[in-house]
Amino acid sequence: MIDLQKLLATLVYDPKDPVLFNSAFFFYYFAVFLFCYLAVAGSKTGRVWVFTLFSLYFFYKACGYYVGLVMLSAIVDFNLSRWIFKAQQRSLRVFLLVFSIVINIGLLFYFKYTDFFIGIINDVTAGHIQPLHLLLPIGISFYTFENLSYTIDVYRKEFPPVDNFMDYLFFLSFFPKLMMGPIVRAADFIPQISKPYTLNSEDIGKGMYLIISGLFKKIIISDFIYLNFVQYIFDDPSKHTGLECLLGVYGYALVIYCDFSGYSDMAIGIARWTGFKIPPNFETPYQSANITEFWRRWHISLSSWLRDYLYIPLGGNRKGKVRQYVNLALTMLIGGFWHGASWNFIFWGGLHGVALGVDKIRIDYLKRTGKTFNGFSKHLFKVLGILLTFHFVCFCWIFFKASTFHDAWALVHQIVYDFQPAIWFDLYQGYTTVFALMLLGFILHFVSAAGGQHTMERAMAKVPVWGNVAIMVAFIWLLIQVKTTQPMIPIYFQF
Amino acid sequence: MPANNRSAHPFIIIAGTMVCLLALSFVHSSFSLNGFTFRQVDMLADVKMDEKPHPTPKQVLAAKKTADSSQATGPSSIPEPDHHSYDYMTYTGIQEYQDTVTTAPGMQHFLNALQDLKTGKRKKVRIAYFGDSMIEGDLITSDLRDSLQTQFGGAGVGFVPVTSVVASFRTTILHTFSKNWTDYHFRNNPPQNLALGLSGHTFLPAAESWARYAPVHRHGLDRFDEVYVFYGPANGGNVIINGKPYTLSGDAPVNELALRQDTTQQSVMLKYEGGAPMPFYGLSFESSNGIYVDNFSFRGISGIELAKLGKGMLQQMQQQHPYDLVVLHYGANVLFRPELTDYSWYERPMQRVIDSLRHTWPQTSFLIVGTADKAYKKTDRYITAPGVAALLKVQHELAEQHGTAYWNLFAAMGGEGSMTHWVEGDTTFANKDYTHFNSKGAARVGALLYKAIMDEYKQEVHP
Repeated sequence: MIDLQKLLATLVYDPKDPVLFNSAFFFYYFAVFLFCYLAVAGSKTGRVWVFTLFSLYFFYKACGYYVGLVMLSAIVDFNLSRWIFKAQQRSLRVFLLVFSIVINIGLLFYFKYTDFFIGIINDVTAGHIQPLHLLLPIGISFYTFENLSYTIDVYRKEFPPVDNFMDYLFFLSFFPKLMMGPIVRAADFIPQISKPYTLNSEDIGKGMYLIISGLFKKIIISDFIYLNFVQYIFDDPSKHTGLECLLGVYGYALVIYCDFSGYSDMAIGIARWTGFKIPPNFETPYQSANITEFWRRWHISLSSWLRDYLYIPLGGNRKGKVRQYVNLALTMLIGGFWHGASWNFIFWGGLHGVALGVDKIRIDYLKRTGKTFNGFSKHLFKVLGILLTFHFVCFCWIFFKASTFHDAWALVHQIVYDFQPAIWFDLYQGYTTVFALMLLGFILHFVSAAGGQHTMERAMAKVPVWGNVAIMVAFIWLLIQVKTTQPMIPIYFQF
Repeated sequence: MPANNRSAHPFIIIAGTMVCLLALSFVHSSFSLNGFTFRQVDMLADVKMDEKPHPTPKQVLAAKKTADSSQATGPSSIPEPDHHSYDYMTYTGIQEYQDTVTTAPGMQHFLNALQDLKTGKRKKVRIAYFGDSMIEGDLITSDLRDSLQTQFGGAGVGFVPVTSVVASFRTTILHTFSKNWTDYHFRNNPPQNLALGLSGHTFLPAAESWARYAPVHRHGLDRFDEVYVFYGPANGGNVIINGKPYTLSGDAPVNELALRQDTTQQSVMLKYEGGAPMPFYGLSFESSNGIYVDNFSFRGISGIELAKLGKGMLQQMQQQHPYDLVVLHYGANVLFRPELTDYSWYERPMQRVIDSLRHTWPQTSFLIVGTADKAYKKTDRYITAPGVAALLKVQHELAEQHGTAYWNLFAAMGGEGSMTHWVEGDTTFANKDYTHFNSKGAARVGALLYKAIMDEYKQEVHP
């Protein structure tokens, strides 16, 4: 009944089948890993080796022999940071730091951006340089930034470099954060390696809650809405009415949040179960009342990285107003480009950079005049702020998601000139489940407060272990039902 | 280990869940409740041996097709027509059928017309290309037109309606219009005495209704030369076209105002100035000779709707603006349930449509384009919908019965599984609905059809 060849095939790298936390493969992998990890729980060296070997295998399974890149960059940065630490002369320290930055950014550029620049050169010079069509090594954007923050921190003498290479490789390859982050700082992570592997009921409850809510966000909300509605709209916006396009954009706002934060939640939950605390990466970002607040609550590990290693070194707010705006715009442009090699991402980053600059003016104005709002007007401004921020972010998502500028403007065009609200009832009938889930997603997002989450976590912490098994089985059974439903066929409305 | 250390719990939870789910995979856990079927849990789906049912004849056919089309992966590699096999499911060229009713069986009339055009015996050849959302925005037809005009001459997009839902995305003409036209069409019950135009639309103006057309910067489409305005019965309706007033009259179902574009003007602005109320159909942009492909797209229809076109209008149209080939390209909206395989409900009314069209335009060649591949998600993969083969059978029968030509787009695309390939391949040729082509895919289909037509033409010229 079991096909041995197929079994072996699932164990090797398959470019068509990336490892996802919501795959059956990961489930088996995680069980075997936990078993081995538990067996060596008493020894720090044992834990580091088991975890690192499993993580490297995970890398291999996800991106084949690119696993070598992680090991190579670990070797380079481990040694460079030690030399930086030991070097007495300032010039040597600077040289080593620049060398490390060039190597890391160079590697990232080579794999991620070469074709983009070849395209630009071809466009400008009407040349015909062959693009490389490189496969992007999974996680490279994340571990490059982790390497950089580590060497820069050592250079800034914020902490001494690690003595043990295996500890550094462990930090860099830590599988829960491999695919989609969060970007973890060595300073937060490395001290946790030596702590004994013990978990209390709070760890169990928190991990359980994060894994389940992450799966819920990813599969029940994000994947379902995307597959059954949002992808049709973004595929060819001109074929859909403005109302559909607008709902498609709202849907995408939820899809990207649930997909990304769901994945982060799972990563943080899995890390928690293995004895590592990683700070949250998202804090209900669409509740933000202004764009500055949004960036404190959206992809926190990236925005704080950009702040600490790009915005502040550029001069931050210390070199006058004009420089501050330039720094903000530059940081966001680069942040946009980090998401992918296309003008769309750069434009998306630029829009956010400009908005952050405008918001700075507002904040400075309020500070200067000492204006505050109270009572009703305070609440009104907050609600208006949330609505405005959410819609601005949604507008930017159009450019983030659309495959070309042409498509993005086509979508905007449909919303502005071809709204056709009269079809709402047909639309509702065609996509009832999708809209119900979207509504549920937004309600959960906007009413969710820290209180509700803590109650759930505490409840899961109190449940005996067999109870958690029952919860997990029931939940995964539900996921299977949602995952295997036949996708809805898109509707093209006549008028 | 401290007494309250729960570091074993994650393992117990994950391993326990795994054991339970594995147990569920072995028992029959699928059941129905309130019409919703809960699916079987199968944790071993990835590693189980494939169950091999006996291949059905259709699967054998499908396997053959995949082998035939395995080289058809790049846009440049258009498959050679398989002249050895005339199986309607696999043949990638045009098949022609004879009939006794009309004087224009198969493609014969059209191919003669092409030859006459080439040798200068006639000035114009026209194709009426009817379809659904697959061709809207001039998809497929613009590429076919471009290739044919390069080969046989002619410049201009041909027919354009007064208003259109996809006007802003049609890249072959710039088309804008006022919002106050009333559009009667196949789907909204026009008044009894109002005839529909060939596009399936008739437009009634209100005060100061206007429509504006401008050429685009593309080869053959960058200027207007001959402009025709088609309108219904009128008794002195006033229009202003590029500043010049005209009074439109005529009692035929279709009347035509022929204009020559003033060389100082780039665009055409048509404005209704009152007078007797009158219906408009659209404009046609042509040059003095060559071949024209008119795009008659209507979103969401199956082809049955063509029955609503009046005989009088069709006959009049053929006198004023004769078509040498009619292409009927439908199927996407017939396959609305992928697993449906009985299309007799479609065959009967479509028989009447084709029969009536053939009798009304007896001199014209007809080409039925068999449906494109359409995939749907079955368990975890996108596969060709079982309805595709069933619909192709019906469409082929329609061609055979009425002595028209037949071109199997499904086979030309690469047969079984080709839509999945077109969506998921390195270059994307179709949308995520696994039904519609994007502009790249449409261009590829246009090229495939052009090649199929030219293969027939070459056989005709040098048999």
